[in-house]
Amino acid sequence: VTGLLAAVSEEPTVHLTSQTRILAAIIAVAFMLMILELIRRDRLQERFSVVWFIAGLGMLAGAIFPGLLAGVADVMGVRDTNVALFSIILLLLLGLALNFSVIMSRQAAQITRLAQERALEKAREQTRSGENGGEPSVRGAATAKDDPDG
Amino acid sequence: MRTLVFIPAWNEADSVATVIAGVREHLPEVDLLVVDDGSSDETAARAAEAGATVAALPFNQGLGAALQTGYLYALREGYDFCAHLDADGQHPPAEVARLLEEVRADRADLVIGSRYREPGEAKSDDYRPTLSRRIGTSVFRFFLTLATRQRFTDTTSGMRAANRRVMRLFSENYSPDFAEIESLQLAVRQGLRVEEVPVRMLERVGGSSFLTPVHSAFFIFKGLVVLLVGQFRPRNGEAGGEPGPLGKAGVEQ
Repeated sequence: VTGLLAAVSEEPTVHLTSQTRILAAIIAVAFMLMILELIRRDRLQERFSVVWFIAGLGMLAGAIFPGLLAGVADVMGVRDTNVALFSIILLLLLGLALNFSVIMSRQAAQITRLAQERALEKAREQTRSGENGGEPSVRGAATAKDDPDG
Repeated sequence: MRTLVFIPAWNEADSVATVIAGVREHLPEVDLLVVDDGSSDETAARAAEAGATVAALPFNQGLGAALQTGYLYALREGYDFCAHLDADGQHPPAEVARLLEEVRADRADLVIGSRYREPGEAKSDDYRPTLSRRIGTSVFRFFLTLATRQRFTDTTSGMRAANRRVMRLFSENYSPDFAEIESLQLAVRQGLRVEEVPVRMLERVGGSSFLTPVHSAFFIFKGLVVLLVGQFRPRNGEAGGEPGPLGKAGVEQ
């Protein structure tokens, strides 16, 4: 029994070497610079950049303090820090994708309403111009009767 | 009492003028609106030539959005009643007049024209559904009856008449994807009186049904998801009371 307990409480192994940590830090900084550049060139709105900055900062923090990741893995009850890392990233991306679907749905509804408003405006214009030259429904009835194919 | 009849049309240039002429003949007192759902053919021009007012959506938005445009127009322009029918010539305008009578007499808020009639009454040029269509219809019929506890035979009918309570509800909440079925569920859940009237329908003049078997299966699956989700929507005391953020999209009454 004591042997089993010892095996379970074994220290979580940290797989990050200093080489991968330096690489991760460089990627994180480059990523955040890219976000800044996109905002500067009006390709990305600030309100959508916040979540990406948080992701970049998280990446940077993970690279600088490897103990952080080990701690998180421990809280999650995962012994392999890599599994913890991938699980967290996967969940974050899933949440982000869902967030985008919500934003897209809202915008689709707004586009539809915009198209409807324009269509209604055009229809109103048509009835107004029709009223100047006589009642449109009467004129329409006459046109329909005159047309032998109609 | 002013009445609007609107016709959602998507690439129906061949039949739209005939439908307009038919409505004029049987319902001379109503105003006519054709909602052109981003057609790439001459639908809007033919409709205007035939004397209808045209509300042209700048791009194709789907049947639900087109119908909602009609309800919105009726609401904003202060019509007391409205009705709509398909532009492909399936719906005899004389039957629309019968639906309108029901809402004018205040026997119902929303009246659906059902193509399913008593057997033995059918005539030679009556509508005959295909097999995949019949399967889909009976599945929806079953689940919609389950969801609303009200019996419906023709869940996908595009021939309807409505009063202002329905206009108010549908101009705010109308699913662009699954217009016909979800709108019935919505109306019943909002406490509106929905009634079905058997009508005669004809074979369509132009166009063909878009449903292949794979299409139908997907259509049915999607419909069931929509119905299930609809059961969890909040039930408002007042019709069209609190629309969700998708329903609002910056609308004023």
